[in-house]
Amino acid sequence: MSQLVKLIIDGQDYEAEQDSLLIQLLIDKEIKVPYFCYHESLGADGNCRMCMVGIEGQKRPQIACDTLIKEGMIVNTKTDTIKQVHTDILELELINHPVDCPTCDQAGECSLQDFYMEYGLHSSKITIEEKVKHNKAIDLGSNVMLDQERCVLCARCTRFTDKITGTHELGIVGRGDEAKVTTMPNRPLSNPYAMNVVDLCPVGALTSKDFRFSQRVWLLESADGVCHGCAKNCSIIIDHNKLKYKDDTIYRFRPRRNDAINGFFICDTGRLSYRELQENRQETPLLDGVKISEDKAIEKAKELILLYKRNTSIIIDANLYTQEIEAIVAFAQEIGADVYAPLDIYRDEAFGDDMLRSSMRAANAQTIINMDINTQKPKKVGLILNFNHPEKFESAATINFLTHTRAETALTLPIATFTESSGSLTNEDGITQFSKKVIHKNIPVPTLIESLKRVSQ
Amino acid sequence: MRECQIVSRKFHIENACTLRVAKEHGAYNSLVKLKEYDPQHITQIIKESMLRGKGGGGAPAGMKWELMPLDDKKPNFLVVNCDESEPGTFKDRQIISKDPHLLIEGIILTCYAIKAKAAYIYIRGEYKEYQEILQNAIDEAYSAGLLKECDITIHRGAGAYICGEKSALLESMEGKRGHPRLKPKQKEPEWFFGNATLVNNVETIATVPFIVKNGADAYRAYGTEKSPGTLLFAMSGHINRPGVYEAEFGTNMLEYINHYGGGIKNGKKLKALIPGGVSCGVLTAKECEGLTLDYEALRSAGSSLGTGGMIVMDEDTNMLEALKNILEFYHEESCGQCTPCREGSGWSDKIVGRILEGNGTKEDLDKLFELADIMNGKTICVFAPSISTVLVSFISKFRDEFEAVVS
Repeated sequence: MSQLVKLIIDGQDYEAEQDSLLIQLLIDKEIKVPYFCYHESLGADGNCRMCMVGIEGQKRPQIACDTLIKEGMIVNTKTDTIKQVHTDILELELINHPVDCPTCDQAGECSLQDFYMEYGLHSSKITIEEKVKHNKAIDLGSNVMLDQERCVLCARCTRFTDKITGTHELGIVGRGDEAKVTTMPNRPLSNPYAMNVVDLCPVGALTSKDFRFSQRVWLLESADGVCHGCAKNCSIIIDHNKLKYKDDTIYRFRPRRNDAINGFFICDTGRLSYRELQENRQETPLLDGVKISEDKAIEKAKELILLYKRNTSIIIDANLYTQEIEAIVAFAQEIGADVYAPLDIYRDEAFGDDMLRSSMRAANAQTIINMDINTQKPKKVGLILNFNHPEKFESAATINFLTHTRAETALTLPIATFTESSGSLTNEDGITQFSKKVIHKNIPVPTLIESLKRVSQ
Repeated sequence: MRECQIVSRKFHIENACTLRVAKEHGAYNSLVKLKEYDPQHITQIIKESMLRGKGGGGAPAGMKWELMPLDDKKPNFLVVNCDESEPGTFKDRQIISKDPHLLIEGIILTCYAIKAKAAYIYIRGEYKEYQEILQNAIDEAYSAGLLKECDITIHRGAGAYICGEKSALLESMEGKRGHPRLKPKQKEPEWFFGNATLVNNVETIATVPFIVKNGADAYRAYGTEKSPGTLLFAMSGHINRPGVYEAEFGTNMLEYINHYGGGIKNGKKLKALIPGGVSCGVLTAKECEGLTLDYEALRSAGSSLGTGGMIVMDEDTNMLEALKNILEFYHEESCGQCTPCREGSGWSDKIVGRILEGNGTKEDLDKLFELADIMNGKTICVFAPSISTVLVSFISKFRDEFEAVVS
């Protein structure tokens, strides 16, 4: 730990580590300064020249992302000169920008738009004919679309593929105002983390092919969540919206910063997992493939449990919340059933890597291990109660508690998905996170705990 | 006017580019000093000679050499900057095509002084034919056993002006996009793949043999007190004998033009002059009167010496067209890294183009001054400030010509 030093910013006293980056202190202390290229995960590049601040003793304004904090430094971010510099450089940034905000998906969460409202508000001094024209819809691969005209060439995306993934698909070609981000011919953007460039892009140059044109961002509600794609449990933001006459729907997952787990990023598989989550939902109880009422289903379940007393095994999906697993274990003791949570099916060596993807593709497998639940396959028994485990096991009778539909004839009770209920999860490194109910369906599906209660009454 | 032949001594000798002829005329004579001097001593001589970098900046070369660590386990490198792309500058190509062995001799001495085992010559891609001459000379030097202590490799650039900026040059040599690097916070050498590296211009290195052989005083005998020695000054434009002629610093500018260049073409009058490649501010004929060719004099005249490549413009020159020509170059060559330069270079070119077509307004002129201000001192390298210098010097010094065409 290096030494703490004192400095003054806009007349206020601050303390910071010596030789740390000034821009990071400004961001942490929420002192507004415009910037495009700096990103905590990628470091300083110094190309956008927006984060100019005045430093006493220095003749010219300096970029905060290339200024190291020193004892007694006096920094000004609000003087007229500095404000003018921000305005001037922003004007240049916008000179060749198409200003197509009405059709741009980034509108509403665009740094360029925000900075214009804050520092710009000038009218354009260049005609449309004079603007440099570039390609506006390039499919880079991996669900990422590029609009070269909107790009501010901050190089965050190219630095991401250079420094974070090391895959080097993206680069800048051309010089001056002809410079543009691109991929090389026949070398599309293709890595498991590619879509993070969409979040990194401060403007509407890189957009998600999956999300674009689906919602205006200001209509979305954001809630914290935890990705269930693997045992890593990356922290995410769930963006959802309940349109009039429609059901509460998730439109995208975005990474939520969590330095203990995923830092700034998530993998594309996790990011797109919201789609499967909402498709083919088990919404009503079934018996022999036919819809039945909930009451009838509960009654039937109770009958079977009674019939096969002491001849029952319970199978638990390793993606369930810890509270749900505990409730199931308690229920099993009540009825004298054995509990299994076979983990082999979740193992996917091809999926795992040394970044954010675990080869254990079950969100709460660690809890199964911590609770000493048998992870072997169950022996053949009379009745199996399957709590959303993906495998099917042999038995005389089966009761399924399912979030999603399956080709099954057994008695099936619907249960809520993880976004429709609350609970906690422990990841493979032993970090526990709590996840709140986010989605409120028009016709709610009972949570696992609610169903269990009714069955055990 | 004193004749100077520190670098240009063998330029007029036929086939001096071959080892045989070069040796007949004293090439590689200075290498005997290597037996006498240790590396630090050579650096000391260069420092005492007050040799200033001849690539345009004019920074003291010895100070740069001193930054090289001599007891480090990691290798040191020498990179010779031959990416000569500044319009109006064509002196380095004289050295590599007329007397390449002088450069090789300089490289051997410099590598010895900075304890480098390898030197790279970064040559602009367009210099294909000169590169072949240089390569032949290097091959000859290898065959003659002159390059036992250090290797010389030529690295061809791909035609980007910005790669003449030393940090962009190193990025380019590392296989990356030629973008200037952020400036270090303290005095330190350049870095090539993380190894300490010295980057010097061709002419700077070609001056080293003379200084090592004859001593620092012999070099300081030429030039002025603060700008000692000589430079390969060059002339182009409206003069009778354009070309490269070595002269000592402090030479009277107009005398030089008349003496070597044979005066302005067709007996016309001088209107304006750009002293050292287009990036230096333009001077009016009146400003040129009595001006001497050294760093200090040109600085106080509000311009700079740059590479010493003078562009001479006669009384018929349309300053708008001249400015447009220069701006087109900058528009084409801005590397596109920093916003003010990337967008400002293109925008200023477009505005001047508009004025040239007769569609300009008075506000356009004000906007150009504003742009010059935004581009000045707010970027990583000095490319954008150069555009500012050009814009401000052209428009303020020839304002009536600009005002005559705007509405």
